[in-house]
Amino acid sequence: MKLELKNLSKHYGDLKVLDRVSLTLEEIRSLVFIGPSGGGKTTLLRLLAGLERPEEGEILVNDHPVDFHSEESLREYRKRIGMVFQAYNLFPHLTALDNITLPLVKVHGYEPVQAREEALVLLERFHLADQAFKKPAQLSGGQKQRIAICRAVAIRPEFLLLDEPTSALDPEYTSEVLDLIGELREEGMRLILVTHEMGFARQAADYILFVGDGGLIARGTPENLFTGDTDERVSRFFNKVLKYN
Amino acid sequence: MNYFTEKEGRNNRSAHIVSWLFVALLLAGVFWFGFSRLGYRFAWQTIYDYRLNFLKGYGMTLLLSLCSLGLSLLLGIVFGLGQGSRLLPYRYFSLFYVELVRGTPLLVQMLIFFYVIANAAGLNNRFVVGILIMSIFSGAYIAEIIRGGVQSIGETQRETARSLGFSPYQTYRYVIFPQVITRILPSLAGQLASLIKDSSLLSVIAIKEFTMAAREMNANTFSTMEAYIPLAVGYLLLTLPISRLTRYLERKFSYET
Repeated sequence: MKLELKNLSKHYGDLKVLDRVSLTLEEIRSLVFIGPSGGGKTTLLRLLAGLERPEEGEILVNDHPVDFHSEESLREYRKRIGMVFQAYNLFPHLTALDNITLPLVKVHGYEPVQAREEALVLLERFHLADQAFKKPAQLSGGQKQRIAICRAVAIRPEFLLLDEPTSALDPEYTSEVLDLIGELREEGMRLILVTHEMGFARQAADYILFVGDGGLIARGTPENLFTGDTDERVSRFFNKVLKYN
Repeated sequence: MNYFTEKEGRNNRSAHIVSWLFVALLLAGVFWFGFSRLGYRFAWQTIYDYRLNFLKGYGMTLLLSLCSLGLSLLLGIVFGLGQGSRLLPYRYFSLFYVELVRGTPLLVQMLIFFYVIANAAGLNNRFVVGILIMSIFSGAYIAEIIRGGVQSIGETQRETARSLGFSPYQTYRYVIFPQVITRILPSLAGQLASLIKDSSLLSVIAIKEFTMAAREMNANTFSTMEAYIPLAVGYLLLTLPISRLTRYLERKFSYET
């Protein structure tokens, strides 16, 4: 997929989280945002998800601009993309299966039987079939996040956005979620992902954006960014996060 | 015997029974002492003569309360959601309604509604007037319960629904309301108990409900206690099960978050 940002700005009061960010990326397969906390990477992802409106600027996905002025067309846009949150955000009153089928039936017009079949196939594939009829409160963090990913994938999105999908997890569950994301990537799912897992970023990303100080501090392939000599802010960040790795 | 609540599974059932009996006997003693000082001579025959009146009144109270509960739920939803509406006239109407009703005594509302509004509107059916008054009163409290319930559903739930492409209506219908209902069910059951008791005030505008039956009997025969003691028992018979139900619902949903 092709992604273009044109002078994209997002302010919260006086705080310019993103300030006139421009970028053109052709043929993205997996794009990873890294950078310091509060640097704007989650905001950028939320703009891409159609959950926030920019103060100015444009986002073009495959040459189509996202229309931020109409809630109606934003909703149509959101229907075509999958979003995975840091805190899973499963609906607590529904079983794992119903969490997946509800958007299929209500938003995408599937027949309930058909939605159920699709969901069960997905759960089976990701070894979650035993959890299908459990409520989120009965699941581990890793299971919850994997089901949240199933929910996002079930709608067959054009691309998948993941906002720090492993940050809320106990370390023992991190790898099962990363494995699943890796599997989706192998199958050709387009991914845009915010993460603090540098090892995973290096392995899974085609292209990395280092977001901070209201803009893109550095960008490049993992090899370029991790080994090459880049901005001083980037190497300082790496020194900190990789200290105990 | 251990008179504190259970610690680590130690059985103190007998202490529960003794404590229960102690409180019951204490209350009975106080009442017995009071009545013996009063030197009241009970004439239970009178209530037997008025039994039909009481039963009709009891049925009326129940029917009134249930109808009012239904209507007040509707009002509660409309004005509970209205307080958060982006449509300003709707929001202010909801705020005024809730604050006015919750801030004034039911008795005053009854008299004003009955003598001013119902009169001007030509509403003569007292049963209907009674239901309207109780619904408007209870609706304001239910509006607050619902507003609190909706607010207790976190912003993340709405946002997730939005990210999945749900419309605002679908978000309320499939995500927020199902969660709100289980959370507010105990409070709603409590509201029903209040509604039943508060409906006793309707006797001041001469609606023939349960309390009115007691007032009539008292006025005709001067057997005050024989009229009012059964009244208390009658209300308890309705409110105690509801109170048990409330506790059961609280337990049932407390861990289902």
